[in-house]
Amino acid sequence: MGMIRNAILAIAVTMGLAGTAATAQTYPDRPITMIIPLGAGGSHDLNARVITSVLPQILGQPVVVQLMPGAGGQTGTAAAASAPADGYTLLFTHNFIDELQQFVTKLPYTPNEDFVAVSRTNTAQPVLVVRNDSPFQTFEELIEYARANPGELRFGHSGNWGAFMVPGLALMQEAGADVTLIPYQGGGPVIQALLAGDIDFTFAFSSVLAGQDLRPLLVVGEEPLLDGVPTTSDLGYDMVSDIGVMQRVVLAPAGVPEDRLKILRDAFAKLNEDPTYRQLLGRLGENASMMDGAEYDQVRQQQAERYKALVDSFGG
Amino acid sequence: MFDMLTEATLMLMRLDVLFMISGGLVLGMLVGALPGFTTVMAMAIVLPISFFLEPILGIPFLIGVYKGGIFGGSIPAILVNIPGTGASMATTLDGPAMTRKGQSRKALEIALVASAVGDFLSSFGTILVIGLIAMIALMIGPPEISAILLLSLLIIVVSSTGSFLKGMVMLLIGMFLATIGQDPVGAMARFDFGFYPLQAGIDLLPLIIGLFAIPEILFAIEHRRASVVDPSHTKAQGEPLRWHELMTCRRTILRSTAIGGFIGMVPGVGQVVAAFMGYSAAQSASSHPETFGKGDIEGVAAPEAANNAVNGPTMVPLLTLGIPGDNITAILLGAFVAQGLRPGPQLFQEQGVLVYAILFSMLLACVLLLVIGYLLTPIFARVVSINKAYLVPLMLIFAVGGTYVYRSNPMDLYFMIGFGLFGYVARKLRFDVTPLVMGFILTPPLEYALAQSMMLSRGDLPGYLIGTRPIALAILLLTPVLIIWLGYRQSKQRRALR
Repeated sequence: MGMIRNAILAIAVTMGLAGTAATAQTYPDRPITMIIPLGAGGSHDLNARVITSVLPQILGQPVVVQLMPGAGGQTGTAAAASAPADGYTLLFTHNFIDELQQFVTKLPYTPNEDFVAVSRTNTAQPVLVVRNDSPFQTFEELIEYARANPGELRFGHSGNWGAFMVPGLALMQEAGADVTLIPYQGGGPVIQALLAGDIDFTFAFSSVLAGQDLRPLLVVGEEPLLDGVPTTSDLGYDMVSDIGVMQRVVLAPAGVPEDRLKILRDAFAKLNEDPTYRQLLGRLGENASMMDGAEYDQVRQQQAERYKALVDSFGG
Repeated sequence: MFDMLTEATLMLMRLDVLFMISGGLVLGMLVGALPGFTTVMAMAIVLPISFFLEPILGIPFLIGVYKGGIFGGSIPAILVNIPGTGASMATTLDGPAMTRKGQSRKALEIALVASAVGDFLSSFGTILVIGLIAMIALMIGPPEISAILLLSLLIIVVSSTGSFLKGMVMLLIGMFLATIGQDPVGAMARFDFGFYPLQAGIDLLPLIIGLFAIPEILFAIEHRRASVVDPSHTKAQGEPLRWHELMTCRRTILRSTAIGGFIGMVPGVGQVVAAFMGYSAAQSASSHPETFGKGDIEGVAAPEAANNAVNGPTMVPLLTLGIPGDNITAILLGAFVAQGLRPGPQLFQEQGVLVYAILFSMLLACVLLLVIGYLLTPIFARVVSINKAYLVPLMLIFAVGGTYVYRSNPMDLYFMIGFGLFGYVARKLRFDVTPLVMGFILTPPLEYALAQSMMLSRGDLPGYLIGTRPIALAILLLTPVLIIWLGYRQSKQRRALR
């Protein structure tokens, strides 16, 4: 009797263990694909190379970066939306593609229904800059001039509804100023245009500022990045602080099994503690302010409302 | 200053540095030679390797991949008439014709020498006058880019084979195809006919592979020949390049290098434009322009030297301002910052030796490219001696596979097949597809730069040009003169041929 009971117990225990082992081990049992809806060489590409050089050691499987640029991020996002929700396809994107685009163009997917957040890996706060020889010493002076001379100042940004146009537009609207918007293809060309004197002001991420002939006037967000430079929160532009900061996020197609989503979210939490990851991010000049996916999903809902209001007010 | 340069040279004189550059070159060449794999992709994938190497190993390694990749793209362009990128488009004008004459090895070798020399001289010149180039680069903004692109489009039509009218038709088709999708400025969908896959636009790669590879495959089947090379030539890969042949290309290579070095200051589209301008200039200067397009050795040397001569100046904004002008320099910027180095004015002061060592590694990479390329070209050249019964199916596999791996979009395969059939018909009717591809490549940047110029001018374009953009104005005024002169020469040649 005792023997049989022990045998049954042993079987039950092994099966139970095997059961838990199965969920732990079977996912992931093959490489995970991380789609980036943007081109090679951009900041997402660089961030992804850092993530994928550390994350595989945590998950026990390779993580393959797949660049799918096109249609301002829609091509890659649509591919991720239609991928099976099995946890083997992830999307590495940012808040403007994720939550703003739905209000400016017709999309073949619905961001908040088709995706859940795995992690917000980090944020990037744009800094408003002018040339060193600019007459504007402070943000107030720049805004005074823009109010008095509508349309005269040229504001260069890194692409429509992108990381620099959104805070710029929101800021000008809150401040009641009118400037001429000029798009450039990315953050590099726009800084070059500023240095060449083609435009009067733009934004840059702080990692770009070191050693340049530029004067920072205002930091978007709450965190004071630069000594002696006010933030949008300091000046009372809370809405700009709220929606103008770029958030790099990893999403998964909605419907991914809860246990797999948990494995992924835990893996990213561990990633953020990894010293190699932190060191490489630090060298890229990126912060490591990670937010768990569950919490970030709440943020996404709020973003959607704010962006809708912004786009509506622009007459779009 | 002199101490710094010696120190920088000594820094490079290490066996592991040579080894890393060579490894990068071979890797780049192989990847560049495969349709569908771009140099940018290769660099992005190997970038993390450089994170964990010291700067003097990691960055020259990436430079090796870059230079190897650009030469690698010319290999299929010469051998099987499939340009891997826009930069090697102009090489298809004479490269494949040389291959058919049984001169594939010679064609690859002249491409190699022209590339290496063009690159070396432009990098060397860049190091000498880096400050001056940085200053000029800042003077090139959207109005200047628009003017240069407009001029290039016209040059392409004038110098295309066949009639002016046919060239113009193809150019306009290419320009229209480029406008399908989202408009680059306002991101509004246009010409997609409510069909979602068209909303993302048509990509260059399926277009090029379709227009070039598919007709090549269909013609091979039609002609039922056993080999790519004309059977009257006994040795398929043919003779190596002779010294006196290289010497006849001397002036062409130097001219193209000067053109490429100049165009290199225009961000983004430099290589494509430079290759065509170099080719066109060589043809105009030649005493035998009628042999261009029929396998002229100078017709390969000219675009290859020009598109590689672009490489030196494109590095300048990155090194002097820390601003990447294109995707490749953006990846290099990533490699720099991951090493804790921030390119820009300060870097020269703080890490002068290292910066010069990296600049010298560009020169070293050109020399190594010449050596490694010389050893490998006989092997590549042998590709054309494969029996067509095997080569043609292989080409089809590469065409389909290459189109798909590029961005994993099944729609691209339909586009490729569609353009393939179009290209086949066009070639049967003696339409040159080159203006189409060039129109397709150059329209989006032209449209973007034009829109930017309008916005910068705030509604007063003539006033803005005259008041603040003398360079753009000069190019615009020069354009009709140059085009009429080129057109006149072309028609005179055609009359002479009759």
